[in-house]
Amino acid sequence: MVEVKIKKFKFFFIILCVIQLFYIFHFRSGFKYEIIKNPFNENAGISYALSAEVIEANSILKKHKVIDFNLSEGLKKDTYLYQRTIEFNYPIRINESSKLIFFLYAEDIPNTCKVIETGKYLKLTQC
Amino acid sequence: MIKKNFHEKIALVLSFLILNNYLLLSLNSPQLMIKINFLIFLLTVLIFYSKNFLENSFLKIFFLFIIFISLGTPTFEWDARSIWLFHAKRIFYDQSIFSIGDNYAAFSHNEYSSLAPAFASSLAFLVGHWNEVFPKLSFSLMFLPPLILTYAFLKDTQYLIFLSIVFFTIGKFLFNGWTDGLVAIYFGLSAFLMYLLFFIDTNFFKNRLLFYLLAFCFFISLTLIKNEGIALLFILFATTFIIKLYKGQLGKDISKLVFLSISFLPVIFWKFFCYSKGIGDYYINTNILLNLLPRLDDLNNYKLISYFLFLNEKFLIALIFFLLSFWIKLDKELFSFIFIVTAMYIFILFFIYLSTPYDFYFQLDSTAARVIRSLSFLLAFFGLYNLRNYKISY
Repeated sequence: MVEVKIKKFKFFFIILCVIQLFYIFHFRSGFKYEIIKNPFNENAGISYALSAEVIEANSILKKHKVIDFNLSEGLKKDTYLYQRTIEFNYPIRINESSKLIFFLYAEDIPNTCKVIETGKYLKLTQC
Repeated sequence: MIKKNFHEKIALVLSFLILNNYLLLSLNSPQLMIKINFLIFLLTVLIFYSKNFLENSFLKIFFLFIIFISLGTPTFEWDARSIWLFHAKRIFYDQSIFSIGDNYAAFSHNEYSSLAPAFASSLAFLVGHWNEVFPKLSFSLMFLPPLILTYAFLKDTQYLIFLSIVFFTIGKFLFNGWTDGLVAIYFGLSAFLMYLLFFIDTNFFKNRLLFYLLAFCFFISLTLIKNEGIALLFILFATTFIIKLYKGQLGKDISKLVFLSISFLPVIFWKFFCYSKGIGDYYINTNILLNLLPRLDDLNNYKLISYFLFLNEKFLIALIFFLLSFWIKLDKELFSFIFIVTAMYIFILFFIYLSTPYDFYFQLDSTAARVIRSLSFLLAFFGLYNLRNYKISY
């Protein structure tokens, strides 16, 4: 009798652990089946982790093989874009004295700057 | 049949390898050595899994599921991305934990110590590149030493309840790339080791080097995971000191306390390095009294802090479980140890919040639920440990 009750007690906690894990997995994790298919791929998960502007900035910088860049005042004011652009592009660094400056697509570009590439969200210029 | 002390030894080896990884990166060691160190870590995990799979099978199965979740989630939350995994990315590309000395991207809190990021960067060394998903798996792997060690003390259904406590109090922090869950579990187990080495009646633990080494590794890890860990370890030492002084047993134990306090050295070196490079903590650099004094006499501030800290549902449930456990079976020494630790931490939290240089409400809203996690885990864990030999009458 005691044995049966102990087993029931244990079974209860097995079920509880399974429910807790399922809850964490389903409601709290942000799990994506597209990611688990190839989690070690170099580009895995970027579209879920970052905005399109940040991803575009990275592809432009890689395409032009630059070592540093700067951001326009409009981009710097947007904390999200500023921080994510810096961290995602590392080891390409932000440099206040860099002549390569990103502007938002809708931003006005100074006359002293020449547009190098225009993307969907950003423009890379040389100033 | 599993050998004597198998789980303690595995926990010691794993925690030592995590610290050794940090040491190798501090010494600018060749990448090959860092990769070998990580491979030995994975091999040790494999030994743990393969040696009698049915022993501790719940942890083994549930942890595989945690790995699965970790590898299927992107790193999208701010702290995980902009602090911990950005530090890891910097270590990966610059191959040293000291590369933050240039204070690049100061928003990422370069002064934070880098035990978890260093371990994540080593996994990236092994894989050969960086991405936005797999490096945070290392953070999950760092949970293994405390989870395995606990099995040496809580068996069968008790261990299942322990896992349930871990899932309840730590939850998504098991895999999301934050360090708050690691702080909570290393703090709980550090408190437990302190209790075994200084308070428990039997000399079984006090006379064995294995437990001192375990305590040493866990204490160093706690301080190097996050700044909060330094305060928590200090509280453990202060509580032990006070109780021993009160009981007149300080003379007998002071040498052990001094020996274990060496575990503060690595974080002191790290803080000294940051100081020498002019990388400061915004909280410490601002005038604490200037923020604290105007808030001290306003009762609403205390109410607001209490609301955020004590009305946290996980904390409340853990507290009720703890009180119930000691009501069922009172162990005065254990109760006073945990009570003093809890009271000291709450006092420190009130002090920190009242003197924050940031917006008072914002600071509470964004951090209270995370910092109280350490206490929730501590209370629930010791509530369970207290009842380990309790026989339920049916």
